[in-house]
Formats: sequence, C-alpha cells, structure tokens
Amino acid sequence: MVPTDRNAEAVDRVAGADRDAVGAAADHDVDIDVDYEEVSVPVLVVGAGAAGARAAIALRQNGVEPLVIGKRDHGDAHTTWAAGGVNAALGTHDPEDDWTIHAADTFDEGHFVNDPTAVELVAREMPDRIRELADWGMPFDRTPEGDIDQRYFGAQSYRRTCFVGDRTGEAMLDTLVAKAQELEIPYRDNVMVTRLLSDGERVHGAVAYDMEDGGFVLFRADAVVLAAGGFSAVYDRHSSRDEENNGDGPALAYEAGATLMDTEFVQFHPTGMVQDPDWEDDWGGRLVTEAVRGEGGRLFNADGERFMEKYSPEQMELDARDVVARAIAREVREGRGTENGGVFLDISHREREFVERRLPRMYERFKSLGIDLAEEPVEVAPTAHYTMGGVDVDFRTGETGVAGLYAVGETVAGVHGANRLGGNSLAETVAIGKLVGDHVAGAVASMGEGESHDEEGHGALPDGLRALAERGFRALADLEASDGDVAPEELHAELGRLMDDCAGILRDEARLHEGLDRLRELRDRTGDLQVDGDRTSLDFEYAVDLAFSFTMAEAILRGALVREESRGAHFRSDFPERSESWRKNVLVRRGDLGMALSTRPAGLPSEAVQEAIDEGHELSYHHLE
Amino acid sequence: MSTQVPEQQAEETEAEQSAQAHEQTPQQKRQDKKRERQEDAAKRLQEEEQRREMDADDTYHLKVFRFDPEVAAKQEPRFDDFYVPFEKGMTVLDALMYARDHYDSSLTFRHSCRQAVCGSDALFVNGSQRLGCQTQLSDLEEPVRIEPLPHQDVVKDLVVDMEHFYEQMHSVQPYFDPEETPEGEQRQSKENHEKIKMSTRCIWCAACMSSCNIAAGDNEYLGPAAINKAYRFAMDEREGENRMQERMEIVEQNHGVWRCQTQFSCTNVCPKDIPLTEHIQELKREAVKRNLKFW
Repeated sequence: MVPTDRNAEAVDRVAGADRDAVGAAADHDVDIDVDYEEVSVPVLVVGAGAAGARAAIALRQNGVEPLVIGKRDHGDAHTTWAAGGVNAALGTHDPEDDWTIHAADTFDEGHFVNDPTAVELVAREMPDRIRELADWGMPFDRTPEGDIDQRYFGAQSYRRTCFVGDRTGEAMLDTLVAKAQELEIPYRDNVMVTRLLSDGERVHGAVAYDMEDGGFVLFRADAVVLAAGGFSAVYDRHSSRDEENNGDGPALAYEAGATLMDTEFVQFHPTGMVQDPDWEDDWGGRLVTEAVRGEGGRLFNADGERFMEKYSPEQMELDARDVVARAIAREVREGRGTENGGVFLDISHREREFVERRLPRMYERFKSLGIDLAEEPVEVAPTAHYTMGGVDVDFRTGETGVAGLYAVGETVAGVHGANRLGGNSLAETVAIGKLVGDHVAGAVASMGEGESHDEEGHGALPDGLRALAERGFRALADLEASDGDVAPEELHAELGRLMDDCAGILRDEARLHEGLDRLRELRDRTGDLQVDGDRTSLDFEYAVDLAFSFTMAEAILRGALVREESRGAHFRSDFPERSESWRKNVLVRRGDLGMALSTRPAGLPSEAVQEAIDEGHELSYHHLE
Repeated sequence: MSTQVPEQQAEETEAEQSAQAHEQTPQQKRQDKKRERQEDAAKRLQEEEQRREMDADDTYHLKVFRFDPEVAAKQEPRFDDFYVPFEKGMTVLDALMYARDHYDSSLTFRHSCRQAVCGSDALFVNGSQRLGCQTQLSDLEEPVRIEPLPHQDVVKDLVVDMEHFYEQMHSVQPYFDPEETPEGEQRQSKENHEKIKMSTRCIWCAACMSSCNIAAGDNEYLGPAAINKAYRFAMDEREGENRMQERMEIVEQNHGVWRCQTQFSCTNVCPKDIPLTEHIQELKREAVKRNLKFW
C-alpha cells in the first residue's frame, strides 16, 4: 500500500548470454540467448512481510542498503492476515508476568523441542520490540490509563497479547513499511525468486522473474535473507491464499544446500470454513475465529451430538487447538461428519444483538454468504494454518550453514517447536528480524577483503554461477512453453488432497507411505505440463510453485514417517503417545539419493526459564473475558 | 465483445514468422505453434462462451474502459462489453478476473490481496470510486460501467499512474516523529488513541483523491489522503508541540486544507470509512486557533 523508492541500484541490461560462460554447459538449447536484467545489491531480502521489513530496517540502520523484493503489490503480504495480536510480557494488566513465563508457555505449547536460544530471544526482546513499534507509530489499543492494552490468548498464563483491534498484522506491516520508507529502503514489488545462485557452499544471488512484464532478473548480492513465508498451502484445506505459503522460502534454501528441520509439525486450526458449492469465491479453509468458541459457540456432529463431551468434558470446545482439531477429524473420519466433510459450529443460542456486537467481522462475512450466524450453524473443519518447521538456522546470527544465506520468519524452524502459541508468529518476525538484520550488516561490512569486486563494489559473480543463472532462465522459458495436458493448478489440487489424506491431522505409517507413492506419481506428471499463458500469468506462477510445494510436501511426509511418536501438532495413530526419547529435532538434508534425514537432540532451556516451567503457570479458562 | 487485435495485424505477425522460420530454433518453433494453437482454441472458446452467456439470464453485463498507447487498435479509448456468468457473492474484481481469464487476457487492472487491505484495485464503477474486491455485483445496476480512477493519467486499460498521488502523500512526511522517546513505554491516552484511530486505516488506494473536485482542478492540492495522514500525526499528542507546529505549517500552505470546500465526496467513497472531511475541518479549526494565538 505504501510506495517507496523503487530504484534498485546498479541496474544494467545484459543483452544476450555470455557465450564463454555458457560454453561449458552442454544444454540442448544452449544456442538460445536469454535477455535478462542484472541488479547488484549488497543484501537482497526475499519477502516483503514483517520479517523481511524488520530485517531490512536493521540493515539500513547499520549503514547497509538492502533491496527488499516481494511477490505481490506493495504492502500486501501474509502478515496482514494475522489478526489477533502479538505477544510481549509487558505486564500491563498482570504485573507478575515476565519474559521467563512467556518462554515457559512457548516451551509448553511447543512440547520442548523448540530451540532455546530462539525462544528466549523472542521472549526477552519482545517488550522492547513492542515499545519500538509504538515509537514508530503503531496504533496499539490502549487501556484507560494510556498503556498498551493486552488480552488473553489461548494457552498463555497471563494477558500478554498486544493488539490493534482485529487487524494487528495489517497495522504492524503498515508501520514497518512506513519506517522503511522513512529510511528510504528500496523495494521492488511483483518479482519472484525461482532459485538461489549457490555453489553449495556460498550464495551469490538469485534468479528471478518480473511478474508484471515477464522479464528475467539476475540479482547479485553479497548476502541473501530469505523471509518468504511457510508452506501450509501444500494442503488442500488451508487458511492462506492459494498462491501463498507454498514453500518457496524453505525450498529455495534447501536447494541451495541448507538444512530443513521439524517439517512434520503443521498447525491445524480447528475451525476453518467448509466450502459451499454455491459460493463463487473459494472460502474453504479460511478461518472462523477462535472467538466464536470463546463467546460460547458449540460443536455438533451430523448426528446432533455435542461431541466434545467425549473428548474433553472439562474444557469442551475451548481445549487446545490440536485437541479440538483431532476431535473434529475423528468425528468426520468415523462417519459422523456433514456431507461436505465438516461438523457444525453453532452460536445461535446467543442473542442476535450479542452475536452482532461481539463477532462483527464473522457475522458480516457469513451474512454476505447468505448465512445468519445468529440463527443457524456454520460448517467447519480443521484447516492447515501454520508450519512450525522450516530452515534450520543458528539463532545467534540467522545463518543457514550456507555462507551468505540467512533466513527469518515462518521460513525457519525453531521458535515454536511442535506447536505454536497464538500471537508468537508476529513476535518472531520482529524479534528475530532485527537480530538477523543486525548480524548480516556486520557480516557484509567485514566481507570483501581478498574477494574480487565489480565496479559497484560488490562481489563478482563466478562464471559457473552465471551459466547456472542462464540455465535457470532457459528452464523458465521452457516451462512457459510447456504444451502438454496437465494444468499446474490440477497438480496443486491433487497434491493438496494427497496431503490432506496422508499427512493431515491423523497420521500413520501406511498412509504416509501411500503419500510418498502418490507424490512420486504427481512428480512424474510434471513432464506433461500445460502452461496456459505467458510469464505474467497465474498459471505460470502455479507451475513455478509446483517444484517448491513438492519439495516441502515430501519433507513433511518423510519427517512424519521418521517421528514415531505423537507430539504437539504431529499425531501418529500408530504411536499415540509422546515419547521422552523423541525430544529431538528431525533434520532434512539434500543427500546423494534425495532427502537424507537425521535427528539431533533438542537443546535445554536456561535455568531461569526452566524455573518458570517448573512453577507450572497455566491459563485458567475462567479468567477469559 | 472484445476484439482487441485487428486481423490485419495478426496476418502481419504470421508473415513475419514464416519469413524467419528458417532461423528459428526448435524451441521457438514449438512456442510459436503452441501460441497459434492456443490463440485458435481461445478464440473458439471465447466465441462459444460469449454466445452461450449472452443468452443466459444470470449473466452480468460489464462495460469496461480500454486504452493502450502501445497497441494501435487501442490508442483510441473505448468500452468493451463482457458478459460474465453471475455467482452468489461475486465482486467487481471477480468479474474482471473472469473476463480476463475467459475472454481477453490483455485486459489489464491492478489487484493483489482481494480483501481490501492492499488498496490496489480502486476503480470508477457506475460513476463512483470503489474497491473492486469490496463491491458486490448484485448491488449494481446493469450494465456495470468500469473505468479507471478519474483525474489520473491512464497507463493502460484500468491502470492509472499513481506517482502524483504518492508524491502528495510523501510531502506531508508520513512518519511518526516524536520529539522525545521515553526510556520505557511510549504512552498514549485512550482518548488520543481513539481520536486518531480511524485516520490510521488508510490503505493508499487514492479513491478519495480521485473523487475530489478541488484536486481535479488544482494539481498541487495535497488532497484528502495526504491531509488525513498529516492529521494522524499532527493530532498524535506524543509528537509534541514543535512538531505539531511544523505539521500545521505543511497543511496550512496555499494548496493545503483551505482548498477543501467540504463537499464530502472523499468521505463518501473511502473504502475504510475514514471521516476525511471531518479531519480536514478539524485541522482548519486547529489552524485558526493557532493563528489567533499570535494576535
């Protein structure tokens, strides 16, 4: 929404390929020249949501100029979909809250496979990050005394979640973009990265295309920061937009030689909308806010039973997200679901006036679809909402293990462990974003001694990598020309169903194997793609996304197969208990024969945090407003 | 219905292609063949669908503004007719996307988030500025006339040049800039938060600027969106008196708040319901108050 200076520095047009560099590659269409634009920057930030923006601000404040690139229009990133709030132990209402209890709650919900450095950094730094956002003009809701207001959020011991009405993410991104603009940080919108230029040990830039005019772009950079979101959209029922969160962030890192971690942990939100065949827009999977249950909404199966009585007689509909999601999945799997594969959520026992006042956005949305929330139930089913797994990084620096490549935000694993606390995703973006930006600035400044530099002072691109980039461009041109029989969207849809069937809420060995088999078949069919439209079309974008989504889907299936226990969001019906010996992280690396998996024991919390964990703080549902 | 490429031009292209055929690589040939096939297929499909849908009852008739300075046939602005099958809940943006995907892939318009957050798809629909993604077809009279935002240069079809609008926004220094940053938390009274709350909702869509008669006649007028931004910071108590004075000087300039003639057109079209006219009036009152002080 807010424009900034779009002039990326040092833009020059390269017409035709450098034959010498290409000569080595025995490619069948090596004789075709590719035109591409070349952009040289010290640091390339891939992703224009909160994590990317915060990292860029830190870079600029340290005297390094980043270029932020995003796949969408300016100010439009998935951050804006985060509504509820952002956690920080400010203690506005509950002075007994402090950062160690925030960390303890995060470990509890993450079932102790979180990265301790990450958790403690987020919990400790968040009060400062919130004050900083307030200093930059973020219009937080206030208490009558003028302090930043805080509210209860699921599974948190105290009121710790700061908010801007029900548009917290939008307001946060707006604030960060305004700050970026004040600092004159250049942005380039509508450009998508399709591969990183990596020799396996160091990243030198990225291959991309401009989604508005279809042109190819080669970015050269001393460092690349990946802040490109997660991969929950590999499921058919998911709460993101269809063409977002399909895994490009972590998959790009994996292909460049980085390690993935804990990809099996996918958070399913219990109440996503169920698509009515009559609706024009695809609403399937969009969230029905937890507040509907918070305000008294009840869940019924198709037989009219209030089934949560069986699963959680004490906390009923307000039990933890994974518990309610599993209960709904069981009801549907055992044949007590609606014909569209959901259950009913009903708040019609409340007065109309109450529903309208307390749930205005939900009431309005359903009204526009011809459903009166105050009179009738709505169909809901769990929906893939957030991926806790991602790139394995060192949380002291943001390093990925591949020199010059850093990652932050939903793209990485570690903060959330086996399940995420609501309000912690926005917290992660700014807390870790600042850390990574600060560190990269230092690393870039001390770089360069002994390395070759071009006229702009940036590291030159090794010849082999230029050839790699040009092969990348030709591959994109070939993809565009694909003239087979299979539509990319069809493969995405089949992948989604596969993942829902085989790696959904309830998993077991046989299904996971079936998933891998079906994935192999889907991969085979990419040889017969039909891309309808040029490089500016959505069809082409879907075709590009396929490879990323396949990579992340395979990582989920393999991770889930290896983890023979149930923990947090990962439930194996053949191993239904949590196992102490599995307090480990699952790592996925690129081996000689495809994905290579291994495990690593999870780190231990610091003494202060362990103390808070031992004190057993807990939210009492009776306190809920 | 839309026929954007005149036949003559298509023939020329074909002739060119055959002349160059011997130089073409297999891949280019493949691409060309594919394109031809797709064009033929698309044309047939388009004709069929249009015929079928013109007959059907539940279609919506759109009249869409077309202009493209780079295509000979579209240099003269015109309206194209599209007949789009109606589905419950369909928005103007949905209809445009349908028309582009099914009838004419060259139809150009901006859109991104589809949920009234990014501000990309402000359009002039049946004579009023609206967000395409927020406007239900069922609320509109047929034919639905869709035009680019008035008073801005058209780049292509429904896309306008936003540069001038952005310049005006930047000219009010739209960043929070408190005189001093306290040690701990930046406090703000609930009243003050409430006062500026609506003004923080701006999504930079430029609907207000486009609706404003004054802005249309005075290119230097800051316009409602920029003045609202100035309001958001000037009225924020935490910025302090000196900064407020500087901000007031910006909005009091010749082409600032005094140009507003309280026609309320900006307030009426704002997709975020920001009371723009009220904010402008309040800044006028503040300016009077301040100037009185010095007498």
